[in-house]
Amino acid sequence: MALSKRKKAMYMRYVMYIVSIAILIVVILFIDWGRLGNAMFRWNIVKDQFPNILTKAAKNTVVFTVLGFTGGISFGLLFALMRLSTIRPYRWFAATYIEIFRGIPLLVTLLILGFGIPIATGWHWPNPYLQGAIPLSLVASAYMAETIRAGIEAVPKGQMEAARSLGMSYARAMITIIIPQALRIIVPPLTNEFVLLIKDTSLISVLGVTAATKDLARFGRDGVNQTANATPLIVAGLVYLAMTLPLTQLVAWMERRTKAASR
Amino acid sequence: MARTTRLLASLAALSFVVASCGGSDSSTTSDGALSTIAEGKLTVCSDAPYEPFEFQDKDGVWTGFDMDIVRKIAEANSLELEVSVQPFDGIWLAPAAGTCDMVASSLTNTPERAKAAAFTDSYFDAFQSVLVRSDDAAKYTTLESLAGKTIAVQTGTTGETFAKENATSSTIQSFDEASAMFLALESGQVDGVLQDYLINKERADKQGTSAVSIKFEDTPEQYGFAVQTGNTALLEVLNKGIATLKDDGSYKTIYDKYFIG
Repeated sequence: MALSKRKKAMYMRYVMYIVSIAILIVVILFIDWGRLGNAMFRWNIVKDQFPNILTKAAKNTVVFTVLGFTGGISFGLLFALMRLSTIRPYRWFAATYIEIFRGIPLLVTLLILGFGIPIATGWHWPNPYLQGAIPLSLVASAYMAETIRAGIEAVPKGQMEAARSLGMSYARAMITIIIPQALRIIVPPLTNEFVLLIKDTSLISVLGVTAATKDLARFGRDGVNQTANATPLIVAGLVYLAMTLPLTQLVAWMERRTKAASR
Repeated sequence: MARTTRLLASLAALSFVVASCGGSDSSTTSDGALSTIAEGKLTVCSDAPYEPFEFQDKDGVWTGFDMDIVRKIAEANSLELEVSVQPFDGIWLAPAAGTCDMVASSLTNTPERAKAAAFTDSYFDAFQSVLVRSDDAAKYTTLESLAGKTIAVQTGTTGETFAKENATSSTIQSFDEASAMFLALESGQVDGVLQDYLINKERADKQGTSAVSIKFEDTPEQYGFAVQTGNTALLEVLNKGIATLKDDGSYKTIYDKYFIG
């Protein structure tokens, strides 16, 4: 049977549709919805989560994220500039730092810095927010440094050369000419980084939580323990989505705009 | 009509495919032997390491008071002991979720937990205690002396419940694992670790930098193994196993090995 390429593609697509619909039907038919609802979405438990899930848990997640992001972007910018520096030791230092913190899982970094440093030095973390947010920001800064560096490198070389030939110093050209242009390139990936940080804060609870410092994921897990039901986790997941979805949509919008502007 | 049948048949075929992707079913044996989620194995959920009850020795073999008892019972039923390490938080729900056949995790039988799982007869009596840094041992001898200080507890344990009820003037910090609590004590992040006495004692003896300064012997708790509610076959086997071990002296041998010798 000789089929044209187009027809073949068409049939392929139909088969795909039919398979997808069949899988969907099977899932819908074979799931015990009553049992699922009973185990994962009980309305009275949903109501019990509020308002603490927002006023305490989500607040803590936001505090950790904002602290982590602020620290991450400051150090990230510093390390990006060091990596682009003409001074070799700066480049080496930044490259080593980035490799180390990108290569070790956040969980391990949290344990080493959160417990290891105080045990080794006798120094104590002044408060639990910093204990969680600083390791988070150190790891984030390694990723952000690479994003920022890529953004700066994406600005055409001619921009720097023109600025220097007009008599600007390297620093001034960097701050007033290059970084503003690079920002436009790196804001979408940095926003994605922010979304990743929101989710990464769920690991901080490994360092121990009090009623006041519980983050969203921990709140959900404790809820499961108290109610012997998965509903609190579902609610926590929805609250995460309520935070991350607007941000990911913002990124999509920014990317569309950048595309339109550069056409 | 014929079309509907064909559709149903194809759906059934598809559901079979979906189901077989989902991993192993619990199989039932015809010869009346005990059926477990993995054939020939007794899969046990445990929050380990939790010395001296559940931990791995240098060769990676599961050992400890709970593990020795369960291994004996498994062997008596020609099953091999398999351990699945799980976080303690809600571990008694794991058999119902199909993760394992039973829980052996220094698990106190409480009325709350007994609503969600079936417990065997008690195989051990425990009580709560507070572990502090050796330097503080003379200072913190009552819960009241820890007022305004931070106490570490493990999430989902009876120790957590006990602390929340009795140490109301202290800050309670919850941790996922026993090992994190010990690190927090050592690092000065917390001033006491409230949990079952023998775990704290083991740590104090082994590390030498901490000491058990408070014991709550008046409020005993009973450890039991937990199985899925309704799994009477396994429950019977375990209860019989515990009774046999107590009768033939093996229980005492194991007890002495970990708590006396």
